[in-house]
Amino acid sequence: MTPPRGPSRRHIALALPSALLAAGCAAPHRGTGRPGDPVVLTLLTHYASGALHRALQGPVDEWNATHDRVKVRTKAVEFTDLLTTFMVRQAAGQGADILHPYCLWNGQLVRAGVLRPAPPEHAERIRRDWGEAAVGAVTVDGTVYGYPTEAQTYALYYNRRLLREAGVDGPPATWPELEEAAYRTTRRDRYGNPLVQGFGLSANDDATTVGQTLALLHAAGGRFVTPDGRSTAIDSPAGRAVLALEHRLVARGASAPAVNVYQAFPSGRVAMVVGAGWWTGSLRPLMGGGYRDVGVAPVPVPAPGARPATLATGFMLGVNTASRHPREAWEFLRWLNADRVTAGNGTAATRMSALQVSVGSLTARADDMRALLGTGGDPNLRPFLDALDYAVPEPNGPGAARAKTLLRKNIEALWTGRRSVEEALRTTRRQVDQEVSRSW
Amino acid sequence: MVNVLTPQTPERAPGPAPAGPAGHGRRRARHRQTAVAYLFLAPALLFFAVFLLLPLGFALLLSVSHWTGFDLGAIDPVGPDNFGALFTGGSTFLVPVLTNTLLFALGTVALALTGSVVVATCVDRLRFQGLWRTLYFLPIVTTVVAVGNVWKYMYEPGGLANGVLNALGLGSVAFLQDPDTALPSVVAVQAWASLGSAILVLTAGLKSIPASYHEAAALDGAGPGTVFRCITLPLLRPSLLFVCVTQFLTGLQSFALITVMTRGGPGDATNVAALEMYRRAFDYGDWGTASAAAFVLFAVVLVVTLAQLWIFRRAGEDA
Amino acid sequence: MTRRRLPWLSYLVVVTGAVLTVVPFLDMVMTSFKGPGEAGTLPYRFLPKAFALSNYRAALHQLNLPVLFRNSVVVTAVITASVLLTSSLAGYALAKLRFPGRDLVFRLVLSTMMFPPFLFLIPRFLILVHWPLAGGNDLFGRGGAGLTVSIAALAVPFLVNGFGIFLTRQFMLSLPDEVLEAARIDGAGEFTVWWRIVLPQTRPVLVTLGLLTFVDAWNEYIWALLVSTANPDLMTLPVGVQLLRDHVDPARTMPVVMAGLVLSVLPVLVLFLLLQKHYIRGVMLSGLK
Repeated sequence: MTPPRGPSRRHIALALPSALLAAGCAAPHRGTGRPGDPVVLTLLTHYASGALHRALQGPVDEWNATHDRVKVRTKAVEFTDLLTTFMVRQAAGQGADILHPYCLWNGQLVRAGVLRPAPPEHAERIRRDWGEAAVGAVTVDGTVYGYPTEAQTYALYYNRRLLREAGVDGPPATWPELEEAAYRTTRRDRYGNPLVQGFGLSANDDATTVGQTLALLHAAGGRFVTPDGRSTAIDSPAGRAVLALEHRLVARGASAPAVNVYQAFPSGRVAMVVGAGWWTGSLRPLMGGGYRDVGVAPVPVPAPGARPATLATGFMLGVNTASRHPREAWEFLRWLNADRVTAGNGTAATRMSALQVSVGSLTARADDMRALLGTGGDPNLRPFLDALDYAVPEPNGPGAARAKTLLRKNIEALWTGRRSVEEALRTTRRQVDQEVSRSW
Repeated sequence: MVNVLTPQTPERAPGPAPAGPAGHGRRRARHRQTAVAYLFLAPALLFFAVFLLLPLGFALLLSVSHWTGFDLGAIDPVGPDNFGALFTGGSTFLVPVLTNTLLFALGTVALALTGSVVVATCVDRLRFQGLWRTLYFLPIVTTVVAVGNVWKYMYEPGGLANGVLNALGLGSVAFLQDPDTALPSVVAVQAWASLGSAILVLTAGLKSIPASYHEAAALDGAGPGTVFRCITLPLLRPSLLFVCVTQFLTGLQSFALITVMTRGGPGDATNVAALEMYRRAFDYGDWGTASAAAFVLFAVVLVVTLAQLWIFRRAGEDA
Repeated sequence: MTRRRLPWLSYLVVVTGAVLTVVPFLDMVMTSFKGPGEAGTLPYRFLPKAFALSNYRAALHQLNLPVLFRNSVVVTAVITASVLLTSSLAGYALAKLRFPGRDLVFRLVLSTMMFPPFLFLIPRFLILVHWPLAGGNDLFGRGGAGLTVSIAALAVPFLVNGFGIFLTRQFMLSLPDEVLEAARIDGAGEFTVWWRIVLPQTRPVLVTLGLLTFVDAWNEYIWALLVSTANPDLMTLPVGVQLLRDHVDPARTMPVVMAGLVLSVLPVLVLFLLLQKHYIRGVMLSGLK
């Protein structure tokens, strides 16, 4: 055998993985940093598609057209992926300059060193111009971290036609009326598939599952965690009453949590459901003429004459500690959230307020909201607006997101018969206490 | 990636016969061969150092540290606190997360093993064996995203599974929404997806059993049941062990299917340890307890694997 | 002969099982053709009213398919090439070369198969982020995004496979030493022996290993999900298709998702059907050691 020549292709083959590794050595696209080139700020939001995406892009385009030195580029992911995306991108050194978090996560994001405290002049303006619930949501341990963008309160959506057909005159104001109406409107087919749920319970995600329960809890005068955020307060008579109410509704067949309420209500298969204000914006285009049947009323209270209360949640725009251009980022946020411009119907409002109202949502500034709604506008938004005066902001401590998940799991265990009311309350207290009291 | 069972006794490689005429030359040749060998091994060894040993050490460090993430200088070693947090007070890690993990693995193994033994012995008697194997194999080469979504859709109220039930005059089942049925429903999918490779391995095992054994037993008047119990099963033991161990390994650590189908819900009904680890790290930035959870699961995997090897060896001695 | 006993019962079992295996795939294909309001409604219907291609158009429109395909193809090709190369190199050294520490190295390779991948998810990600001198990092891996800015991030953790080394090594053991020795005496270096003699004779096992690696790499989900959460430019097909789902109204988008799934599953399915013999042998090999 003659000695064959050595391989020539092996060099190429060997070079492959190393070339691949070397390809990673390029710097991330973050602007060149050369003097004269514009600063590019990235903004990570969940306004990923449809009307919300367009509504935000409007002001951003306006800013980019009128500012040569600082440009803003939006990046969007679905809300369900937003928190993970914040955390993973931050860990990967690719966090956006401007973040649009759900206020529930603020404690966790502050603890992890993601959010930058607002500079004094911004913090002062925020405290001065926004309402108590909104400021509370963007504050962690007394420090303000961003501009509140929207405030969602919870109220009772109802289908006028379904109530009327069941002989119920108007929306219930108290829990006994609510239950009565729920049982009267419920209908099922012969296999047990729900045709109409009297009272829909969402098991979609943490936000809606816990949101509806906390709205009822506040209406009953209860709280989820103590004001200092260090322990649970749901194991109380009010908490017991809420869970017992939900349990009865499920057990008697008026609620079918397995059915997606957010699909079933628009198609006329749910008579009543507790939801947040943003939903009006998606229901209107989705239902078309059928939206005439949709009404909104305050969250019912346990007994006649009780003080109304509900849950308020919110989002804010803040600046990343890792941003290299914090001054420019805060300047953009001030322009977007605090500068007043003349909106569509001739009233003065901030760009953010105009944006929120244009998509049927609620701005965090009640004054803007009243002005923008004026005499026209969707009357269904009124109850949400009125609720801003008495709504309780969601807790936002470091363990709040996990606490919410734990509460949701216990609520679902209750609905599905895995736990009794007492067990659900006890395990919630044990699990959430362990989470929120952890030292970090 | 493919999971394989570590063989018990690696065979010795027959070394190249000494060829050089002089001892001196032989030594030089051996030196050269050593250098070449390590050159050939270099890419693999380098990879294992950087992507196996280093991460292992890093994970160990994180599992005994408090770290809120992002700054490597801020890792704060605190000892076994993270492990404590997993098991104390109201922690859900032991029950239901770890118990779900074990039930998930156990259910998958039981279903896949029974199914594959039945189908493999049946296929062995039929024509067109290649065709059947190919059909059973389709799920294996399909991404978990497809498998998960297709089944999730089939389980829905308007999906195929409930369509069949309703057509038979039965009521609908909320497969993935009811916590009593959610875990079994996901287990069924995992078993469905892993049936193909189990059948293959068992078929290969069946083929290696000499036909004369069966013929001899038949001549002695043994029925098919007896033949199966007394001849086929014992001789199939190595293949069964392999299927068992690999399916358990996959089952204990799988969470891609669950991520796609239920995200662990409803409640914690389908939450498993690997998913819990992922969430704690990448949702809540709790790297310490996430790493601790990973090591606890690793310990479980080790114990379960060793236990199976031991049990099968015991059974082998008794037989 | 027992082999021919009760064939009808065997047929019943096997055919029922095969139907159960194939029907979900058919349901996926059928749903991908269903029009708006047709999927997820009661009562269930298997066939679509018309075979419309609108869902495929929507999937193509909503997915950045060229990028997803490019990422999936590049990553799968690189991983497969790298696993074949490193496995055959290391397998040859362990099977046919004599050197001190060989048993130790072989045992190390075996032990790497013991560690489940989830254990490495967090630390490997952090190692890639803090890769020195990459993605704007300094020498100590600080300040930048590391390898997560590059497509390399998707492939790196899978470039070497302990099972691949083991498989090739076992196969190479059976190669006759005389031929190798003859080549050496003729003056061929070890590289030449490996390339010209060992590799050609190892082809069957390399085809098998290549296929196993290809399918695994193409279908990989968790790591790709993590990496593309950090950097959406690195999305692969499975991750991209999963994002098609609309969380508020899944029933409406389900046919589009199914169309995307059909598109993403098709390449591997075709490859599998063409080369199934090699693939099936690989799975059998992994079980019969």
